[in-house]
Amino acid sequence: MSIKNSNFFSKQPFLVAKGVSKTFSTIKALDKVDFNIYSGQIHGLLGENGSGKSTLVKILYGIYTPDEGEIYINNKRVYITSPSVAIKNGIVLVSQTPILIDKFTIVENMLMSLKQYSLLTKSKTIYSFLTDFFNKIGLKIDPNTEVYKLSYTEKQFVEIFRAILLNAKILLLDEVTTFLPSSEKKKLYSLFKELVKTGRSIVLITHKISDALEICDYLTILRRGRVVLNTPCSGISIDYIRKNMFGETDYINSKIHVEPVSNKLVLKTENIWVRGGSGEYRVKGVSIYLRKGEVLGIAGVTGNGQIELLEAIYGLKKIEKGRVFIENTDVTNKDTGFIRKIGIGFIPDDPIKYGLSIENNIVENYALMETNSFLINWSLFEKNAREYIDKYNITTPDVYYPVKLLSGGNLMKVLISRELEYSSKILIACNLTRGLDEYTKYLVKKLIYEKTKNGLSVIFTSDDLDDVLEFSSRILVMNSGIVVGEFSANNVNRDEVEKLMVM
Amino acid sequence: MISINIAIVKRKKPLPKWLIPLLSLISGILTSLLILYVVSHGSINPLDVLIAIGNSITQPNLLLKNYAMLLVIGCGLLISFKAAIWNIGGEGQFYFAVIGAAWFALYSGLAEIPIINKFLMIALGLTTALIWILIAALIRGYIGLDEVPVTLLMNYIAYNIVDYLVNNHWREQVYRYTRTPTIPVETWFTNIPFTNATLELLLITLVTILLTWIILNYTYIGLFIRTMGSNPNVLKTIGVDVSKTIIYVLIISGLLIGLAGVSYLAGDTHLISSPVIAHTPYYGYTGILVAWLSLLELKYLFVTTYIVSALINAGINIQIVGVGGASIVNLMIGSILLTYTILFVFHEYSVKIIIKK
Repeated sequence: MSIKNSNFFSKQPFLVAKGVSKTFSTIKALDKVDFNIYSGQIHGLLGENGSGKSTLVKILYGIYTPDEGEIYINNKRVYITSPSVAIKNGIVLVSQTPILIDKFTIVENMLMSLKQYSLLTKSKTIYSFLTDFFNKIGLKIDPNTEVYKLSYTEKQFVEIFRAILLNAKILLLDEVTTFLPSSEKKKLYSLFKELVKTGRSIVLITHKISDALEICDYLTILRRGRVVLNTPCSGISIDYIRKNMFGETDYINSKIHVEPVSNKLVLKTENIWVRGGSGEYRVKGVSIYLRKGEVLGIAGVTGNGQIELLEAIYGLKKIEKGRVFIENTDVTNKDTGFIRKIGIGFIPDDPIKYGLSIENNIVENYALMETNSFLINWSLFEKNAREYIDKYNITTPDVYYPVKLLSGGNLMKVLISRELEYSSKILIACNLTRGLDEYTKYLVKKLIYEKTKNGLSVIFTSDDLDDVLEFSSRILVMNSGIVVGEFSANNVNRDEVEKLMVM
Repeated sequence: MISINIAIVKRKKPLPKWLIPLLSLISGILTSLLILYVVSHGSINPLDVLIAIGNSITQPNLLLKNYAMLLVIGCGLLISFKAAIWNIGGEGQFYFAVIGAAWFALYSGLAEIPIINKFLMIALGLTTALIWILIAALIRGYIGLDEVPVTLLMNYIAYNIVDYLVNNHWREQVYRYTRTPTIPVETWFTNIPFTNATLELLLITLVTILLTWIILNYTYIGLFIRTMGSNPNVLKTIGVDVSKTIIYVLIISGLLIGLAGVSYLAGDTHLISSPVIAHTPYYGYTGILVAWLSLLELKYLFVTTYIVSALINAGINIQIVGVGGASIVNLMIGSILLTYTILFVFHEYSVKIIIKK
C-alpha cells in the first residue's frame, strides 16, 4: 500500500538505518545518516553528485560496511556484511555499474544468481519470464544474448529483472530509470507501483527531480553526506527540492541555445553499415552530417544502433559498407589513434570500463589526453588538473586522489573534462550526461556552448531524451539502425520524437 | 542463544604496503622451519638454520652478486607485471643473452679489442635476448595467445638450444667436457675486491634501476604500462595501439633480463656448462619472487631482493655448517610465496567476528 493512500507514520519501518557513517580516505561520504524504509512505498533518494546516495545503498546491500551506525530489519539488528547476506534479508541493489558476467548470456547470468538461492533453475522458464519482462517494457532483447553485447542501460534492465526474480522486499535502484523515453519509463513505473502494492519497497536514486516527484511517496535528500531533507512528496515544489540539493535554483532559468557557427561540414557519413556484437547489422545505411559549431543529438531507445554508429565513426567498430569523412579526409575504418590525432575526443558508453583508468589518480588520467610525446610533463598536467577540478566542479580532496575512490558523478566529470578539453574539432559522446546531477548538466552544457563558439562540434547520443532535447541544436531519431527523423531545436516536438523512437 | 559469524570486510584504510611482504617473510621462514623440523624428526635444528640465515644477512659483500643480478631481473619483471603481462620466461631470455655474449667472446674474433669489446658483447647478448623475447611478444601482441604458457615453455626450448650448442659446436676440445671453453680474459668483467660482484654488474644495475624509474614515472610508455595493468580498454579508447604496447613491454622486460644474462657469463661463470637445467642459478624464476614480493613497487624491490639474496646465501651457509642441504632455501622461498598469497588478502580486508545475542 502506498503512503499516499495510508497513514504512513502509523506503521513501523521495515528497515531502519541509524547513524550510519562512512569515510573513504579523507572524504566523509556519509555522516551519521538516519534512513528508514517502509513497506509498500517508493522512497526517492536524491542529492548532487558525490552526496553519498550510492554509498548509502551500497551499505544497505553489503558492498561497503559502515564505519559506524546500525541497521535494523523488522526491529532486529542485522549485520549486512556481503551482498548475499543482503539478498537473504530481502535487499537487492541494481547498481549504477551493472555487475554481470559479460561472457555469459542473460539467461545464464540469471541462472547463476538464482541457483544459489534455490529459486528458478530451469533456463526455459527464465527465458520465457525474461521475454515477457522485456516485451512489457518495450525492449528488443533476446534473453540468449551474451551480456557483453548489451548496452549499459540494457544491462541495468537485466539487473532489475534479476532483482524481481530474487523476490526482493527492498529494491534499491541506483540511477536505472534516467535513460528511458517517457513511454518506456511509464511502463516501468507502473511495474514499480504494482510491486509496492504487494508490500515491497523501492528506493529510487535519480537525478530527475520531476520523476521523483511523480512516482515517489517519500523523499530523502542528501548533501555532502548528510540528510538535509526528509519529507513526504505531496505538496513539495521542485524548486524547494533543488534548493535543498544544490543550494541554488538560478541556473534553471539560464537559457543556453547552441547554434552552428558556420555551414561548413566537419563530419559526414555516407550510407554506413555497422554490425553489433552478435553479428547482426545495428547501423543500416546511415548518412548524416555535422556542421562546425553544431551540437547534434541522436535520440533513440537504447539498442537501436546509436552507440554503434558513434563507435564506428571513432574507429572502434568496423564499417562494413559506406564511408566516413572528417572535414575532407576519408577516415573510414582508420584506427582510433589516427582519428584522435585529428582532434576528435570520445566519451564511451561505459565510462569505468572504457573511459578511465580507475587504479590511477586524477592527474594520471588527465595525462592520457596527450599520448604522442615520449616524456610526460607532469607539472603541466597537475596545473591542468587543478584548473579542471575547479571548472567542472569535481569533488575531490586532491589532484592525486585515486579515481576509483571518486563518486560515479565525479568520475564522469573527470572523463567529460578530459575529453572536452582534448577535443579541438569534434567531441563524440555516448551518453554524455550519464550520472550527472542537474546542476552539473547545466555546467557541462555551458562549457560545451563556450567551446562550440570556438568551432568545436559535438555529436552525442543519450538514453535520456530530455538531455537530447535540451543540449542539441539539431536532433536525429534512430530506430532499428536507421535515421527515422530529423528536427531542429527550434521546431522539435517531444511527442513526435517519442513516437518515432518506438514506432 | 549466541551465534558467532565470521565476516571478511574491507578495511577503512588498507594496511601499509610494506607490512604484507614483511609478514610473509617472517611467517614463510617460520612455516618452512616447522616443516623441516617435523619431516627431519627433529634432526634439523631450526635455530641452526636461523643462525645461518642471520649470518648471511650480515654478509653484504657475499650477497652483492645475487643482489645485483636479482635487482636487474626484478626490474625487468616488475615492468612486465605492472602491465599485467606475465613474463615467466626470464630464464629463456637470460640464457639467450648468454648465447649471444658467448658467441661474441668465443667466435667473433673481436673479443680482444680493448674497451669496446665489452660493449659489443653486451650489444650482441641483448640482440639475441631481443630475438627470443620478440617471438613471445609477437605471439602475445598479434595472435593474443596467453603469455604465461608461451614464455614458460620457451624457457625449456632455450635450455635445449643452449645444451645443443654446448654439446656440439661449442664444446671445449681439450677434455671434451660438456661445457664451452672459458671466454677470453679480456671479456671478463672486473671483480670488486672482497666481494663476489663485478664493477660492470654494479654499473648495469644502477643504469637498470634508473631506467626503470624513469620509464615508469616519466614516460608515456610507463603510463601506458600502468594503465594497461589497470584497464587495457582505456588505452584502446584513447587511440593507443595495445598490441604494440604489449610488444614494447615484453621487449623492455626481456632486454633488462638479457643484461643480467651477459653479466652472468662475463662476471661469474665465464663459460656455459651443460645440461643447463643442472647448472642454472634460476635467476629468471627467483626474479619472479622478488618482483612479486615487492608489490610491484620499485622502492620495495630493494628490500625484498636483499632478503631473498640473503636466503640464497643462507643455503650455502647451511651446507657449509652441515645443517642440511641447500634445497632448504627452495622450501623457504616456496613457503614465503604461499604465505604471501594468503596474507595479501589482508592488505585490503580484515576478518571480523560478529557475536549475535
